[in-house]
Amino acid sequence: MQVHIEKANSKEEETAVIKAVEITDEISAAVELLEGGARSFAVSYEDNAYILKAEAVYYIESVDKKTFVYTKERCYDCKYRLYELETMLGGYFMRCSKSMIINLRKIRSVRSSMSGRIEATLLNDEVAIISRGYVKEVKRRLGL
Amino acid sequence: MNKLKFWLEQTMMISFAIYLGIVIEGLVYLIFKGEALSTFSLSWYQLISVILTGALCSLLTLFLLSDYEGAGKRFLIKVIIHSIGLYLIVSFMGWIFNWYTGVTGFIMVTLIFLMVYVFVWLVSLWFYKREEVQINKALDDIRDEE
Repeated sequence: MQVHIEKANSKEEETAVIKAVEITDEISAAVELLEGGARSFAVSYEDNAYILKAEAVYYIESVDKKTFVYTKERCYDCKYRLYELETMLGGYFMRCSKSMIINLRKIRSVRSSMSGRIEATLLNDEVAIISRGYVKEVKRRLGL
Repeated sequence: MNKLKFWLEQTMMISFAIYLGIVIEGLVYLIFKGEALSTFSLSWYQLISVILTGALCSLLTLFLLSDYEGAGKRFLIKVIIHSIGLYLIVSFMGWIFNWYTGVTGFIMVTLIFLMVYVFVWLVSLWFYKREEVQINKALDDIRDEE
């Protein structure tokens, strides 16, 4: 890929434009670096590719071997598998069941049920289930 | 490993609750029958049988409820099957290890079973509730602003 650098007159004018056939892992990493380390990854919505910041993600779900990323307003397709995203995102992103990764920072509150599982109400009022087997890890991530 | 830990924890909790039930049974005999506690005795194998019963009951819990993720009606059905299963285990073990003789003894074992069952559920619910409070508190510190 050719790289052109033009001099800008002020900080506000600083912009990076990337022209690419597809968004590869290298481009995602470059975007992440340019955005100051904010983790991001490639997703698609109605055949358009986007770079999504991790902080916008509420939860990620795998259905019939397809991965869907949910933000406040939209549901994106994603080429990555859950285990890959789990490694990539780390931090407050964690597996809450076999088919879901949840962003702990988007949980408004949790409620225990009699079966031992935890119902997590997200900031967008959706409810995600944290399986009993993953509760210990949730507590570990929260420093409990 | 987690399953083994779960099984051991449940075994300890159930065994402890049964021993507690035996203590209460002794006190009931003392108060209502006027007998001295010394007449209330347990053989060494009966003490071991309590742990064995706890282990068997935990095994049933492990298979029926430990990995179950459902809720509502299905969960209720599982709990009913689980409780009947436990009652059959306790009755059978009681019969094998002479925990009771006659109908009165069997009624007493049934009462202890009910007490232990409720105790274990209450302890579990208390544990889950405490966990819920802890997690909610920790989430307050990291939550994103919308």
